[in-house]
Amino acid sequence: MAGATAIAGTPPLLRAEVKQDGRLLVPWALLTTLLSASSMIYPLVFPSDQDKAAFAAAVGANPAMAIIFGPAYDLSTADGFNAWRALSLGGLLAALGVIFAVTRATRAQEDSGQAELLASGVMGRASRLAAAVWMCLVFSIVLGLVTGLVTVAFGGGWNASMLIAATMSATAWMFTGVAAVTAQLGSDARTANSLAVGTLGVLFIARGVAYALEAPDWAIWINPLAWMTETKPAVDDNWWPLLLAAALTLVLLAVAFVLQARREFGAGAIAPRPGPARGSARSTWRLALRINRGPLLTWTIAFIGLGFVFGYLATSVNDILGGDAALQQALASGAADSAGLVSAFLVTILSLVGILASIPGVQTMLKVRTEELEDRVEPLIATATARARYFASNVVIALAAPAVYVLIAGLLIAALTASADIGVEFGDAFLQAVATVPAVWTVIAIAVAVIGARPQVVLASWIGVLASFGLTILGPTFNLWDWVLAISPFWHVPGVTDPDADWWGLVWISLVTVLFLAIGFAGFRRRDLART
Amino acid sequence: MSAGEAVIDVRGLTKSYGKFKALQGLDLHVERGQVHGFLGPNGAGKSTTIRVLLGLLKGDGGSAQVLGHDPWKHVVDLHRRLAYVPGDVSLWPGMTGGEAIDLLGSLRGGLDERRRADLIERFELDPSKRGRQYSKGNRQKVAIVAALSSNVELLILDEPTSGLDPLMENVFQEVIGEAKANGATVLLSSHILSEVESLADRLSIIREGAVVQTGTLADLQQGSRSTIHATLSAPVPQSALEGLSDIHVDGDRLRATVDSAEVGAAMTRLAPLGITALTVEPPSLESLFLRLYETDSTDRAAS
Ligand SMILES: Nc1ncnc2c1ncn2[C@@H]1O[C@H](COP(=O)(O)OP(=O)(O)O)[C@@H](O)[C@H]1O
Ligand SMILES: [Mg+2]
Repeated sequence: MAGATAIAGTPPLLRAEVKQDGRLLVPWALLTTLLSASSMIYPLVFPSDQDKAAFAAAVGANPAMAIIFGPAYDLSTADGFNAWRALSLGGLLAALGVIFAVTRATRAQEDSGQAELLASGVMGRASRLAAAVWMCLVFSIVLGLVTGLVTVAFGGGWNASMLIAATMSATAWMFTGVAAVTAQLGSDARTANSLAVGTLGVLFIARGVAYALEAPDWAIWINPLAWMTETKPAVDDNWWPLLLAAALTLVLLAVAFVLQARREFGAGAIAPRPGPARGSARSTWRLALRINRGPLLTWTIAFIGLGFVFGYLATSVNDILGGDAALQQALASGAADSAGLVSAFLVTILSLVGILASIPGVQTMLKVRTEELEDRVEPLIATATARARYFASNVVIALAAPAVYVLIAGLLIAALTASADIGVEFGDAFLQAVATVPAVWTVIAIAVAVIGARPQVVLASWIGVLASFGLTILGPTFNLWDWVLAISPFWHVPGVTDPDADWWGLVWISLVTVLFLAIGFAGFRRRDLART
Repeated sequence: MSAGEAVIDVRGLTKSYGKFKALQGLDLHVERGQVHGFLGPNGAGKSTTIRVLLGLLKGDGGSAQVLGHDPWKHVVDLHRRLAYVPGDVSLWPGMTGGEAIDLLGSLRGGLDERRRADLIERFELDPSKRGRQYSKGNRQKVAIVAALSSNVELLILDEPTSGLDPLMENVFQEVIGEAKANGATVLLSSHILSEVESLADRLSIIREGAVVQTGTLADLQQGSRSTIHATLSAPVPQSALEGLSDIHVDGDRLRATVDSAEVGAAMTRLAPLGITALTVEPPSLESLFLRLYETDSTDRAAS
């Protein structure tokens, strides 16, 4: 009875929710569908068994790739390829989609006061959360169905394709639960999102490492994301791990609703305390640091963690390569050489670090836009603060922090690889990290240009990250032409140990960076503020 | 215009948002030392005008001068000499009110510590609360304290009292009075006439993106009507109703309107009847508007 009144008014709320936020979910389903269905071109790209074997050796066995894609059980068929390429990444995308949706529909609306308006109507205390959860649970299933059916339509095997898609749905279910919990813990939308995305990130990397290092079973069974990998589509087709996911979802949702019933409206479990009556942030520069303080700290810790994980992975690169039969074959036949593989591994892993580091850079720029839309820039510009100075304070953080992240992770990776006697010098590995930084800056400079000059298309800020990821990490799985791959700034990062490394590429991409920065600054100086 | 130095001088200003014309040839003159009321209904274009004056928006046509300079080109120098309270104050969620005041003050080039302490006390503001914990009125207070803590020549206030309780509104009026006594010029926008009438030396009324009338309060109220609500101890005789119109009598209760200049005469006629309760509502912005519409149409009929 009490339960029924707590969620009174959910259906109309759900309808309003779907109308308002539903379209923001669509891109995530498109991405997973594209990811999975595009795997079906595998036989066209790699027609012969020999091609497939070479591919498996060069890309499938690169442990840096394994961190993202998980283990490659069988790269001899399109379905097996799809399971390797789409399962973990698709789950990641679906989970991100629902995390943002749950937070948007609960926390963000509470922050904006929109929820209060509704809460005063005929509505149970829990209905907002209930509506958000329903929307995301149903969306997860739709995402799976669309992804699976489209993949089958493009030639995927029924069982394997549907299972791969189902793991995406299941991952989205679990993270609907996680986000429902973090929405109760954080005291605002940003904290709630960070907690949920952070959980996803840690579990994702942990899974990658666990499989790359052939970690003990317990490391796999304590990680819900690894349950998804254990379905082994196209090899074993285990459906039962999905039941574990459903059970975990129920537990998380139960926890979320209990927490929700206990907290006050607008508050989180982590309550804000009174602060100093006097301020020390007295310049736009200090303000920018202050606003980004939380993320700066979190990301620094994240990259120290990444540095250790990737560094450790690098130390065992020879064991991993040695354990790969297909690779041994390729090595024996001369199709690959061991030193080259180690170097390629290092370049890839640092590109990956670079791409990940550009994400907080783009976020810093997006924050500039949020501040503007929430009317917090206007009072600042109305003081004796030049627009360029305000913008510059934020751009400096957006560029400098990711560079530091790459260097931190690079330092750890270099130190660990140098200690492991795999033929990589500390100096070379660290120099490789340094050489990656200009590419990171190019990616972030795109966001600077967008936010400065055309903030209406704020999503375009992510173009750099998406293109880099798509071309540098996914590109090789499509066997794309060099001129296409060269669109990614990371393609221009030379391998420092390569005797005929071409350093000019870094000069060119830096010119592009300068151009984008100039566009951003010119735009921000000239445009109306906070006008949409 | 009189010979005073123009602190704000706007001529024929236009500004569009896409196809929508928010300002259509707006003129505004504010002289040094004046408190100038900028009155208009919601959506009339007050905030848009103010944002152009602050160089936050770029006007499409016409000219705008603040303290003798173009606000779009000389932003930084100008902003050192003025302070602004926005209509919708939004604070940094994790930053305390005190920190926000210090930040804004420092960016303007420093604030007067004594004034800061004094204002915080008078507005009964708790500066150690975080931005997200303040109510609308308290956020407004933070912005007001931040603006008034610096010694500036020009204060631009966009509906600064929305959300303040009546007690705090009194404090606000006092504080603006002091600023004026110290020689500051004030542009004070509002959609409620009574908010500005006690402070403003001159008023400009804006409607649909253009100033339709400007002058002193007395100028504007000429020919406008106040509303009287009275409860009398005797039945109301016909003779007492002279000069009143829109009369509603209900037993001993009377409601009517009277030409604002005739309020005193009407009182003299009602007083002998024994007034037990009385309110006189000054002309509302709406009634001023009604009159402006009327003069508009009579002017047109005359020409
Ligand atoms: N960014 C915008 N885009 C489109 N129209 C706007 C925008 N900002 C304001 N307007 C419109 O311009 C008109 C004037 O707005 P504003 O200056 O804020 O009015 P006021 O402050 O007098 O209430 C309103 O009709 C409003 O809807
Ligand atoms: Mg306004």
